[in-house]
Amino acid sequence: MTAAEILKEVNRIFIDQLENENIVLNRASIADDIEEWDSLTHIQLIVAIEKHFKTRFTSAEIQNFKNVGEMCDALEKKILLK
Amino acid sequence: MKKGDKFQTDFIVDDEIYNGFIDLFKDKNPLHTDAAFAEAKGFKGPVMHGNILNGFLSFFIGECLPEKNVLIHSQEIKYLHPVYKNEKLRLVAEVENVSESVKVAELKFFFENHTNLKIAKGKINIGIDL
Repeated sequence: MTAAEILKEVNRIFIDQLENENIVLNRASIADDIEEWDSLTHIQLIVAIEKHFKTRFTSAEIQNFKNVGEMCDALEKKILLK
Repeated sequence: MKKGDKFQTDFIVDDEIYNGFIDLFKDKNPLHTDAAFAEAKGFKGPVMHGNILNGFLSFFIGECLPEKNVLIHSQEIKYLHPVYKNEKLRLVAEVENVSESVKVAELKFFFENHTNLKIAKGKINIGIDL
């Protein structure tokens, strides 16, 4: 799975979880860019992403992600390691 | 708490709970309070408020789990059959997923009555102190 494909699937998860069809993520996207992305929905997003990609993050990883791109990079590595 | 853990708690919708719910929330809809009305609608008697079950869920999450540092993030419930006063109910819950990164546990649950009829089911996500 390419980084672009991962970003596309993550975008779909954001749309579903935040119930906003207009969300368009890019690698630089951060919580401030999306109104519905708050501390509570952040948890829901992480859980949904972990389930979708059948992987787990550590709490340290979560805290260190600076943007969506870094999260997608981590996902790509985890998928490659499977 | 880990995936596969199961918990159960028993409840009875007794007079104290039924009357307390009405006193607090003022829902005196005849379906809940008028036996003749409820029977005319095909029920055996006044139907207990579905949200009483949400009160039981609150007690279960707050008081019956091994962790006390818990916070309900979301829950959904589907009502499958009516509940009548003094009916004995059992809440059965199973941990379906635990995300350690964000400290969340997802539980699926159901309520069943004394005949093992499932009267409601749903899912609940809680924040926990792992």
